[in-house]
Amino acid sequence: MKVLLQTCAVVAVPLLLVSCSGANAADPASPPIYNPYPSGILPADVASETARVQGEVQSIFQQALAEANALPPANVTGQPPTQQGSGYRAIMTLGKLMNYDVNMSALKNMACASCHMPYAGFGGPIPSVNLTMVAYPGTYHFRAGKRTPQRYTYSPYFPALQLDNTANAFFGGNFWDGRSTGYLLQSPDAEQAQHPPVDSQEMGLPDTACIAWRLSQSQYVAVFERVWGAGSLTGISWPSNTEQICATPGGAATFGTNVTPVSLSPVDRNRANVIFDHWGQSVSAFEKSVEVSPFSSKFDAYMKGKYTMTTDELAGYNLFKGKGNCNSCHLDGRGTTLSPGQTDTSTAAQVNPLFTCFGYTNEGLPLNPRDAFYYQTTPDSLGFTANPDGFGYRDLGMGTFLRSGFGSAPSPNAEWTSQAPLRDGRFQVSSARNAGMAPSQCPTTEAPGPYFQKGFFHNGYIKSLKQLVHFYNTRDVYPFPVTSGHCPAGTTEKVDCWPMPEVKNNLDMTVGKLGLTDLEENQIVAFLQTLTDGYTVPYPNVSTFTGQCSTGGSASTQGNETLIATPTLPPCSSNVCAIPPLPNPAIP
Amino acid sequence: MTRPILKLVTTAVIAAVIVSNPVAAQVPPPAKKARRVQIVKAPELEMAAGHLTIITWTTNNPGGTDDHYGVVHYGTDPKNLNKTAKSPIRLNQGHPTTTFRVRLDDLESRTTYYYRVDSEESTGRSDGVKSLISKFTTPGSGERIPASPQPGRGVQPMARQ
Repeated sequence: MKVLLQTCAVVAVPLLLVSCSGANAADPASPPIYNPYPSGILPADVASETARVQGEVQSIFQQALAEANALPPANVTGQPPTQQGSGYRAIMTLGKLMNYDVNMSALKNMACASCHMPYAGFGGPIPSVNLTMVAYPGTYHFRAGKRTPQRYTYSPYFPALQLDNTANAFFGGNFWDGRSTGYLLQSPDAEQAQHPPVDSQEMGLPDTACIAWRLSQSQYVAVFERVWGAGSLTGISWPSNTEQICATPGGAATFGTNVTPVSLSPVDRNRANVIFDHWGQSVSAFEKSVEVSPFSSKFDAYMKGKYTMTTDELAGYNLFKGKGNCNSCHLDGRGTTLSPGQTDTSTAAQVNPLFTCFGYTNEGLPLNPRDAFYYQTTPDSLGFTANPDGFGYRDLGMGTFLRSGFGSAPSPNAEWTSQAPLRDGRFQVSSARNAGMAPSQCPTTEAPGPYFQKGFFHNGYIKSLKQLVHFYNTRDVYPFPVTSGHCPAGTTEKVDCWPMPEVKNNLDMTVGKLGLTDLEENQIVAFLQTLTDGYTVPYPNVSTFTGQCSTGGSASTQGNETLIATPTLPPCSSNVCAIPPLPNPAIP
Repeated sequence: MTRPILKLVTTAVIAAVIVSNPVAAQVPPPAKKARRVQIVKAPELEMAAGHLTIITWTTNNPGGTDDHYGVVHYGTDPKNLNKTAKSPIRLNQGHPTTTFRVRLDDLESRTTYYYRVDSEESTGRSDGVKSLISKFTTPGSGERIPASPQPGRGVQPMARQ
């Protein structure tokens, strides 16, 4: 395979990249299927849907190759040297190639885009996974993570994580729990792009050097070196067993606790680290480009006076700012209309609001017993066990990250550790932009459709925007001391029964009883849909979805047919809840 | 450099910094602290069930840090409000008033509790709200006081002790 890939690499100068059938879809020997799941947890179509997405990823990768071939010759000039005129396009194209390259996973079967496709606003592309197991299958089928793939539209705009001492609040970072801080590259988005390739339950490379190795074997070496300099991807003396190591999913017992199993000299390790940084920076450049984050929604046109909102959209916007209080966290850069009929005379603070405060909050989502993470309690064939605690695991979000706790990442700042109890249960306030993005074939997230099934919030418990708004509106109107799947007879979960929060600590009370009518909820949904990019210019690759749309039912109860009863929960694992500083109050 | 030109250059530099920093443009600084924070809608019981009790009240917008906490000091003895519950909320700088809601988890059933309220910035700085002591009685096991308080149940404000 190595020979084949090398043959398919750069074959001409300037910049001619050959598209080699099959070269980007290698099929190395895979370990046996890992399936610790009770019947019904894995969706029946998970294999075919994973293959479907891989086909779509391949098609966009070929598109990126063609775009790379179409780049004009580089004209490096100036001091510091700059690719005059084409540098921006070149790095964006490089990032796109990387984003859709399945070779960047241990078993060469998964790209970043496998969990983040454009037609889902760069969120999860498989409706049945969004409906059920929530976390996506990784390179080693069927290991899976624990949370929904967070949309990365506009994620490059998040600043490096900081504790604002004036406000005593965390601000910025990437990921639901903020673990991509940006402390090294000062770009949490670039650092975010570094995590999944080496996450044992995602793309599964066992060593960050494997990124440098696989890039050096890729079809776009010339693009990389055009952006980052001649020789920037070569010169490392790779051990003869490098591919063998990189093709072994991380977490394998054979690695023990060694996170750098590729044996490199200090100089070569440093080179590999630099390439790994360039990987993150290039992917981030793509994510910030107009291909991902274009500010092309109806709302953006409205702000420029080039779109007139419908009656419902405008009513929804006023509710978003007023009675719904949504813009207390999803900042819209405008003033607030609070009273019915009152005219908003405020001036736009900016023309491109991101609809987030970059903060972290606990909205009180119930534990979702369908989350695949709870079932990965036994070792796979490589000796890796994702979650030894099973249902003893509790997702404390940012609190666990600040403790450098199980399932997150090491915190790089010990001064933040004492903040953990104040951050337990909190997750990032995502941009509301593109929450409603769906493929053009099934252009809504809402039943009866035809619709594209999404999962909302960190654990995917919510299945439609209608449910999302209804949750904010009535969480504290219909609270029941039960877990999901156990609502009392005569009630309907997510309609007039909300199970108790997974984590009560730090529960945000800005919302929970908004007093919105059913019509007003629908109007806010209508407004949220104006935040979908692609109105002023078509959104690239929004039509690449080749799966099936869903139809029928009601947005209020969408997905309720897949609810299952949460088992009796054991106490919170000491791996999570006994790590100092302890949660306050203690988490049962 | 003449003063008008200096002013122009200074303005341009500041504008350039703001424009080139989308984050700075996205999140406003904390609002100016209100000179006095007053309750405009008295504290009351929003709901109570066996596992959850919620107290709510409304003040003028206190300003200060956007991340705020509603605070309820409570107990079964009006002279000894020895327990405290805090719930985070986020101020909306565009709203003239702020509604605080605080959760009290797992209170004793059929028990009368006394309480007073305050609010504070995320730094712990109190808003200095002056609240009367009020009381409520929790429902029995399996009972629920609905989201809208029923006549004769729930909040009965009383004079400060």
